[in-house]
Amino acid sequence: MIISPQVTLHDKLAIKFKDEILQRIVETKAKGLILDISEIDIVDSFLVRQIGEIATAANIMGAQVVVVGLRAEVAMTLVEMGFSLRGVYIARDLERGLEILRKAGKR
Amino acid sequence: MTQKSIEVVEVRSESDIVSARVSAKAMAEILGFGYMDQTRIATAVSELARNAFHFAGEGKVTIQPADREGRKGIEIVVEDHGPGIENLELALKGGYSTSGGLGFGLSGSEKLMDEFDVKTKIGKGTTVTIRKWL
Amino acid sequence: MSKQNVKELTEELSALLERNADDIRLQWVKEMQQTGLLSSLSPREIDEQSRAIYDACVLCLKSGSYEGAERYAANMARKGVLEAMTVDQIIAGLLILRDVYGRFIFEWYKKNPTKCNAILTIYEPVARKILNIVALAFVAEREATIKEQQKVLAFSTPIVEVGEGIVALPLVGTLDSARAKQVTEAILEYIAKAQTDVVLVDISGIAAIDTKTANYIIRAMQAVKLMGSDVVITGIRPDVASTLVTIGIDLTGIVTRSTVREGLVYANEKLGRKITSVSAS
Repeated sequence: MIISPQVTLHDKLAIKFKDEILQRIVETKAKGLILDISEIDIVDSFLVRQIGEIATAANIMGAQVVVVGLRAEVAMTLVEMGFSLRGVYIARDLERGLEILRKAGKR
Repeated sequence: MTQKSIEVVEVRSESDIVSARVSAKAMAEILGFGYMDQTRIATAVSELARNAFHFAGEGKVTIQPADREGRKGIEIVVEDHGPGIENLELALKGGYSTSGGLGFGLSGSEKLMDEFDVKTKIGKGTTVTIRKWL
Repeated sequence: MSKQNVKELTEELSALLERNADDIRLQWVKEMQQTGLLSSLSPREIDEQSRAIYDACVLCLKSGSYEGAERYAANMARKGVLEAMTVDQIIAGLLILRDVYGRFIFEWYKKNPTKCNAILTIYEPVARKILNIVALAFVAEREATIKEQQKVLAFSTPIVEVGEGIVALPLVGTLDSARAKQVTEAILEYIAKAQTDVVLVDISGIAAIDTKTANYIIRAMQAVKLMGSDVVITGIRPDVASTLVTIGIDLTGIVTRSTVREGLVYANEKLGRKITSVSAS
């Protein structure tokens, strides 16, 4: 399952988003989720937390989460603030992301 | 965006947090900050605006150019009339928790900016002033 | 000294310096030539610029406004005027002018010590301010140049492609925070645009690094990893290794190899490629 947020997510929307994603994982019994955040230019602690929660919940449901398309300036900001994205795989692009999911699925 | 010298955003809802950070980023760009710094500034504003909204229910974000003895930069003041921060030292330490969450925004934004000043009074409110120089 | 007095004396001094402009100016030029300061200038240039500077100085005294001096100084600093002279030569020349003026004033008023004192009291701050303006103009120009150079440095961060999707980033010399920031932004920008699987950061050429910069570099590498590329640090010398440990740098999760070549081997293995030969580079 590939999710690619195109709109600016404010907090309420982000939570709604997360809930919808998790709902869809349950419905489709998806084994993998690719979160493409290449359109998001600002990622702050709230969003990091939401991603973390998506990952934790998805993992419990047996799905792996791959985050794709982290922008350079976002990566730098996250690292400087001391945040890291745990529980998710990181991939450079969609192709690599799918590869990772394929490999993860084989285990 | 029209060239205004001061931008004020009243934070009353979640979407105002986004407005605040978008305004901050736009002003930063106009002032000549590179996109890396623009992101740092916008992220810091996002954190502080959210803190105000969540702990105080309201907040006021003032964004303006800064000038100190010829040195140019940006200054943002986020103030609220909320409960104030009880343990400022602890809040600033934040912790290196990876899931983010409230309370880590303060220490996070300190690391992103050049200057960071917090004034808080229990029961009265909190004012955070941040600056970044070109 | 009363305000009226100051005004009168200033007018008197200005008039005096204007009337005797040629004499004083030629004396100034002579003294400069004696010290070899003007050897790189043509006679016409000497004549034109000495007049311009002389008149600008007297104007400052007369009008109380230093705009003319500031403009001229900025022009000098930007090498629009007196290009052939170095900064210290220009300053030396102006110091001689200051002395020539002073000596002239003294000679003129020496029979009246009180008045001489009064005149000098008016003259000295003006001379000092003009020199200050000139010095600051050069400093400002220097800082602007350094800023430009740093921008150029940013474009000259060496990122070398050493294989398909593999780049090497050699860090050399003394790394300070400013340079570290440039390098970081350059590499992050690079991997944002070009498909990069592995970044080999070679630090064998680093002479010195402080804790703050080291931390910055490590964070930058973590950012690279967050963007989906792998990072390998190569070229850690034993002394650098012990320094890193001493200052408590956390290198967990970051692969290290002692040479770029080994880093390349690791990268290829990781990418599942077999290398048939490794050419000496």
